[in-house]
Amino acid sequence: MLGFRLFFIGILASAVIGAGVYVMKLRSDNAILKANAVKMEEAISDQQELITQQKEDFKEILAANQKMNELVGALKKDLEDLDKRFNKKNRDFGKLAIEKTGAIERIINKGGDAAARCLEIASGAELTEQEINATKKSEINRECPSIANPNYVPY
Amino acid sequence: MSLTSCSGVKELTIFKKKVEREKLNLDKPSALQLEQLRWIIITSENAEEVFRKLEEQGIDPVLFGLTDKDFELLAKNFARIRNQLKITNDLLDKYKEYYEPEKKIENKDE
Repeated sequence: MLGFRLFFIGILASAVIGAGVYVMKLRSDNAILKANAVKMEEAISDQQELITQQKEDFKEILAANQKMNELVGALKKDLEDLDKRFNKKNRDFGKLAIEKTGAIERIINKGGDAAARCLEIASGAELTEQEINATKKSEINRECPSIANPNYVPY
Repeated sequence: MSLTSCSGVKELTIFKKKVEREKLNLDKPSALQLEQLRWIIITSENAEEVFRKLEEQGIDPVLFGLTDKDFELLAKNFARIRNQLKITNDLLDKYKEYYEPEKKIENKDE
């Protein structure tokens, strides 16, 4: 009878100890899971920040590309306009220079000064108030309006 | 036991901190300031007059010539150089804006 009791107590004690150990393990697992959840949330937050930053970077890259493309297009147009000035309606520049020497000399000197100013601007020179405010054909630098006269809209 | 538990040895803590790369901060080249040139058109008809005027002004009566076609090419070449200069300069500005943005760093400091 005593043996049976002892056996029963032993089983009971083992069960209680086992349950205690199991609860302890559950608590420990729970703590680990909580810590993991916090880490996951942090990681997700970091990822979100990274994604947001990447989106902003892409926007900036696109805007920079667009601006550069616009600039290249505008400069190409300036070059085409220069070509037109020499050859408009089968114009013979040499013949004109012989016929109207004085007038053409004045024109090319004015154009030369304007072209030199364009080079200064292209190398980083600040625009003058006059250049910024120019909106009429008579006010603009005809050699490079795209960079010298930001407020001029061709008409 | 008591001696060992009182020892001053502490657990090492190793941490990493990301340090931003130093800015290059090279000065941008100063803008060009060009000299003014004077073009003279010389034809078979006005050649003598042009040379006479040069002598009167105390300038050596010698001119370096271009045909009308070459003048046109020179003008176009200069326009191409100007365009390339502008593109390169703007490209440099864009890179600087992108990789060394002043505003973002100011915000971070705040």
